[in-house]
Amino acid sequence: MTTTDTRPRPLGSAALVRLVAGREISTRLRDKNFLISTAVLLVLIIGVMVFQVLVNSGGSNTTIGVVGGSPAAERALVAQGKALGTDVDVRSLDDEAAARQAVDDGDVDAAVVDPEGSDPRLIVERHGGAEQDVVQGAVTALSTAGQLQQAGLTLQAPPQVDVVPLESGGEDRTQATVVAIVGVGLLYFLLILFGQFVAQGVVEEKSSRVVELLLATMKPWQLLAGKILGLGLLGLAQIVILGVVGTAGAIAFDVVDVPGQVIGTVVSVVAWFVIGYAFYASVFAVAASLVSRQEDLGSVLTPTTILLVVGFVISIQAAGDPTSTLATVTSFVPGLSPLVMPVRMAAGEAAWWEVVVAVLLMLVAIGLIVRLGGRVYAGALLRTGGKIKLREALQAERA
Amino acid sequence: MLEFDGLYKSYGANAVLRGVGFTVPRGSMFGFCGANGAGKTTTMRIAMGLARADAGNVRWRGRPLDEAARRRIGYMPEERGLYPKMKVGEQVTYFARLHGLDAAAAARASDEWVGRLGLGERRGDRVEKLSLGNQQRVQLAAALVSRPEVLILDEPFSGLDPVGVDSLAEALLEQCRQGVPVLFSSHQLDLVERLCDSVGILARGRMVAAGTVDELRRREAGRLLRVVVPDAGPGWAYGLAGVRVVSQQGGDTLLELATGTDDQAVLHAALRTGRVTHFAWREPSLVELFREAVADPEQREAEAVAA
Repeated sequence: MTTTDTRPRPLGSAALVRLVAGREISTRLRDKNFLISTAVLLVLIIGVMVFQVLVNSGGSNTTIGVVGGSPAAERALVAQGKALGTDVDVRSLDDEAAARQAVDDGDVDAAVVDPEGSDPRLIVERHGGAEQDVVQGAVTALSTAGQLQQAGLTLQAPPQVDVVPLESGGEDRTQATVVAIVGVGLLYFLLILFGQFVAQGVVEEKSSRVVELLLATMKPWQLLAGKILGLGLLGLAQIVILGVVGTAGAIAFDVVDVPGQVIGTVVSVVAWFVIGYAFYASVFAVAASLVSRQEDLGSVLTPTTILLVVGFVISIQAAGDPTSTLATVTSFVPGLSPLVMPVRMAAGEAAWWEVVVAVLLMLVAIGLIVRLGGRVYAGALLRTGGKIKLREALQAERA
Repeated sequence: MLEFDGLYKSYGANAVLRGVGFTVPRGSMFGFCGANGAGKTTTMRIAMGLARADAGNVRWRGRPLDEAARRRIGYMPEERGLYPKMKVGEQVTYFARLHGLDAAAAARASDEWVGRLGLGERRGDRVEKLSLGNQQRVQLAAALVSRPEVLILDEPFSGLDPVGVDSLAEALLEQCRQGVPVLFSSHQLDLVERLCDSVGILARGRMVAAGTVDELRRREAGRLLRVVVPDAGPGWAYGLAGVRVVSQQGGDTLLELATGTDDQAVLHAALRTGRVTHFAWREPSLVELFREAVADPEQREAEAVAA
């Protein structure tokens, strides 16, 4: 150990910003509310998927008992079930009495007696149900094949039908749009959550007057940048974790058919979170710097919160009708675009240049806010008591 | 040497500082006195870069204070400022790092200062759980943890119990002995008198008196006369030529004599009221120096005219 390491060294902007960001992250990581909200989101995402799996699997699974059937009969039942979208399990039974017993006990959903004979019978609890169609189809196929064979004909495998959709990827697009809506919902929630964190942090520093001590060692913009970056990294980590868990789960549980499209949508939602967060966090921070007490926070944050709510409502509307004028126009408006554009993109209704324009407009808006907002923040930070008007804050910058 | 040179500052039409200047030599303690609103806090905030002077500057070692130099100053703001929900040890470490210590050195320095200020047991507690006195100690630890070259403390003694006052005073004197110039403001003039090498009294935006307490005393000495006349009426000394009544409590009267006034004439006047139990020139206390210094000159003229 040398004696030089106890001597303070000059700090650059990057080091200061890192210090502030580090404090924000470590404070939040030990904040119960933050941890709980993260856990709730994760549970919610997993819950949605489990629900999907349950809904999808309902009724698409059946067990059919067979009395006196050949392996060919069992194959025919499974094949027919597949054609009708039902997974068929076949179980051999000894005789008709055993079949009746099995159906009655619910061991099997239905039992077919003598499927290849001249008098096949299906035993079910009551009329109706997918088993009837499956068994009828299988018996027909077996009988046709048997008759043709007796007539001396050998069957060729029937040709596969090739599907030619006129509208490209209708089903995948719908899935991508659903993912986009879930993603935008998440984005909306996280923007509000982390925007609030930023705002509360700013007011906490102001109301506890610790800001005076901080500004004796750094410039307002360094404090602002550190705060926004630190919380932003946390927010990004959170949305990435949720995105990865959600996507991996969806693929693992077979909830989605075309993973590529869904992954693309998730990535675009994450990217829009970064841009949207930069925008809203700056606005929230600047607004919060105008008040000195947590109680007054609501009044200065409301206009921005309303903008977020409007964006979210439009994005839901856009999911239903991605080509509407409202959706198209608002997907370019800074502040609204992070919520609306991902939905249009997922629906395949946004050209690449439209996305580029929307992103550029957002970046310009962020640049303006950071510049102007930075001055307001600097001017308002050291003034306490009551609510400061924007104009006063601009004039008072380090007065 | 910490130099405040010709500071001017007004907020709108309100001129807060009108040419404030004084110096705090290395290793000396400077007590900054003045009525509420006299401009003490503004002066300190200008030094810390929290307010911008309209004119004048603050220099340390001959160079105007910049951001790097300010990082070498330990500062205690008038309104205490700490993160209420942060733990004591972590908080002090954080401020050490903001002042440029690396992580390991900051943690060591934080441990050291928290322990030295008697908060070792409370290291892991949130600041908001501490008593006000202990919070003040944390605040002081935050100011001292980076081994500052200069200390600027706004009302560091306010809100402390006598034991707290003593331990803070000891900590400040130790800093002084190590060569750190200490500037602090206080309304507790007895404390200032006891601790400080020099004193500055601020009134109406100007430094109306500055120097060592002895210098100030000498300047005022030979002018204040204490006369105790138990039987006298309240206005017994009014109307005596060249005499101003500084204070009167019962018969205990403090008089200020203009130069050339005959003290024996005052004694005669006193004797005329009855018994005189005390008659002597008096060394002014800092409180009286302060009253004298901050008294509005116009008001004093008005009193003189009335007399």
